[in-house]
Amino acid sequence: MSTSNRIEASPAPSGGQSIKATIGQLLRRPEAGSLLGLIAVFAFFAILGGKVFLASAGYASWLNVAAEIGIVALPIGLLMIAGEMDISIGAVIPAASLTVAIVSGHYGLPEPVGILAGLAVGLIVGSFNGYIVNRTAVPSLIVTIGSMFGVMGLTLGFTVLIAGSTGVSLVPSAAGKAILGQFIGGMFEVTIVWWLLFVAAFFYLLHISPKGNWILALGGDKVSARNAGIPTARLTVALYMLSGFSAAFVGVSQVFVYQSAQVLAGQSFIFNSIMCVVIGGVVLTGGAGSVVGIVFGTLTFAIVNQGIYFTGIDPNLGSIIIGALLLLAVMTNDKFRQMAVSFATKKKK
Amino acid sequence: MSGLFGQFIRRPEFGAMLSFVAVIAFYVAFGGVSLSSLFGAASWINFAANLGIVALPVGLLMIAGELDISIGAMIPAGSMSIAILSGYYDLPIVVGILGALAFGVLVGLANGFLAVRTSVPSLIITLGTLVAVQGLVLAGSVMLTGAASVPLNAPAWAKLVFGQLIFGKFQVIILWWFALTVIFGFVLHAMRYGNWIFAMGGDEVSARNAGIPTNRLKIALFVLSSTAASFVGMCGAIQFNSAQVSGGMNYIFNTIVSIVVGGVLLTGGFGSVAGIFLGALTFAVVSQGIYFTDIDRNWSNLIIGVMLLAAVLMNNTFREIAMRYVPKKSK
Repeated sequence: MSTSNRIEASPAPSGGQSIKATIGQLLRRPEAGSLLGLIAVFAFFAILGGKVFLASAGYASWLNVAAEIGIVALPIGLLMIAGEMDISIGAVIPAASLTVAIVSGHYGLPEPVGILAGLAVGLIVGSFNGYIVNRTAVPSLIVTIGSMFGVMGLTLGFTVLIAGSTGVSLVPSAAGKAILGQFIGGMFEVTIVWWLLFVAAFFYLLHISPKGNWILALGGDKVSARNAGIPTARLTVALYMLSGFSAAFVGVSQVFVYQSAQVLAGQSFIFNSIMCVVIGGVVLTGGAGSVVGIVFGTLTFAIVNQGIYFTGIDPNLGSIIIGALLLLAVMTNDKFRQMAVSFATKKKK
Repeated sequence: MSGLFGQFIRRPEFGAMLSFVAVIAFYVAFGGVSLSSLFGAASWINFAANLGIVALPVGLLMIAGELDISIGAMIPAGSMSIAILSGYYDLPIVVGILGALAFGVLVGLANGFLAVRTSVPSLIITLGTLVAVQGLVLAGSVMLTGAASVPLNAPAWAKLVFGQLIFGKFQVIILWWFALTVIFGFVLHAMRYGNWIFAMGGDEVSARNAGIPTNRLKIALFVLSSTAASFVGMCGAIQFNSAQVSGGMNYIFNTIVSIVVGGVLLTGGFGSVAGIFLGALTFAVVSQGIYFTDIDRNWSNLIIGVMLLAAVLMNNTFREIAMRYVPKKSK
């Protein structure tokens, strides 16, 4: 913010330099690297995957994946910007699915009750995480690993106790199916629309409402943020509740899409969401990142993950690309940050 | 509170000791487990040995303030390397063993260099190598052998050293675990390298200013952890006469949990080898010992989660007590 002000204030000597400055400014945005990565990956698979990848079935395959991960990646990204982590989402997703399936499928209660119960699970786990993180000096990685194991055990134990098996099915009503589990045009999950709504809401939260600055401040320097009057404790709890809620939302919508809930689902979301966020330019140590970047990161991840099936390449090589992309992303972010820091000092002279 | 006892409860392994006793007491009280059958059983000790060998170097990394999650991919990588080299290509078993260990060293070097050369947190770096090694092993084994599972017939001496069952049930890897625990204990608590590791985890900049070669030390620790993971995978392949590409992912969280239950602070600078040893033992009792109880095994994850949170909260409290205790003494 301050950089842009300074550049505007300085008398622009020539058009060429101001364009240079604008490009430099764009390059230093958190999402610049991830946009370049997204374009490169899309071009790569468009060339290798050909017409099938560029047909609507191709788009559907990676957009469906992107939507589910993306809804979780958004709050994880916000938490990471605030300097925290949440591993427990891997257990919240199946916990919410099974809550819906047990409440509405096994006990036959109305669907809204099941959906609310499922979402409530996420909010409860989130507020628990936030409370423990605030009250102790324990790193949130450890706290949320603990709650992950706890929620996993509760889910498994209660599901077997109540339903007698590790999978519970649910036949959704027409309305429930239309809102949460529909395939638009026969292939695009309605979750994509929900993802866009989540993106809009998170964009407002981080970049327009004053809470966004609070989150960035919290990740930049927690003590100073608190001294500046930001209610850091309440903000932390709210962010954890947000990530619990979003994970639960994905779990709930999965039940309506796949019509059944499994105990062992969601583990892959833990690392996948972190990778999306990091590829999207969020710095794990907190204080920098953007919602647009997280969206780009999610799309990049999903394209690599699914696009590889449209090429003749061994699908397993996809994970090498993702690993390389991740390392490349963090290293360029590292470079960009250093450049940005050194740029600011030069201006001061 | 006498001095000796007071000193003991401030040791990092005190919490681990307490958790271990508490879990067994819980199983005896509520699960109707008989101690003789539990302590005679091999399943959980075998589990503890495999986990413990990985937990030792990862624990040292955590004391040094770093993290390594690429071990989740290194375990299948180690077992696939030896199976492909000595099983599929029929090379001598020594080549397979060295190949598996060399792969571990290579990945460790990559992790270490990236951790030293960039300011990226090691969690993210090793997440990248985790995914990349996973893909490499999967694609490599399918490309080279055409299958996701490769058989391996190790000669008798290799079986004896790495993959034997003692008394028909105890894996020989338990002895490796004991030996490595002693070696790591010596390195961390009796050699200057141990002090270096603590110093690095306490304050890396001060440690470097004090002349400690922090970069080399960090790389060495990353090499140790991925080689140890590769070693566990290799022993598994020799023992079970085949290697699988899947598996190993559970180790990531299991090791972190057992190390933290063992009293190591994730933020670095505090911990002990005895604690890490007891942490792995405790984790194994919870997750495998539950089969000896009347408790439904599905609840074991809940117990692990509660135990982890209880352990960190307790460690937190003890640290606060210890912190407050010291200034009083100096007065």
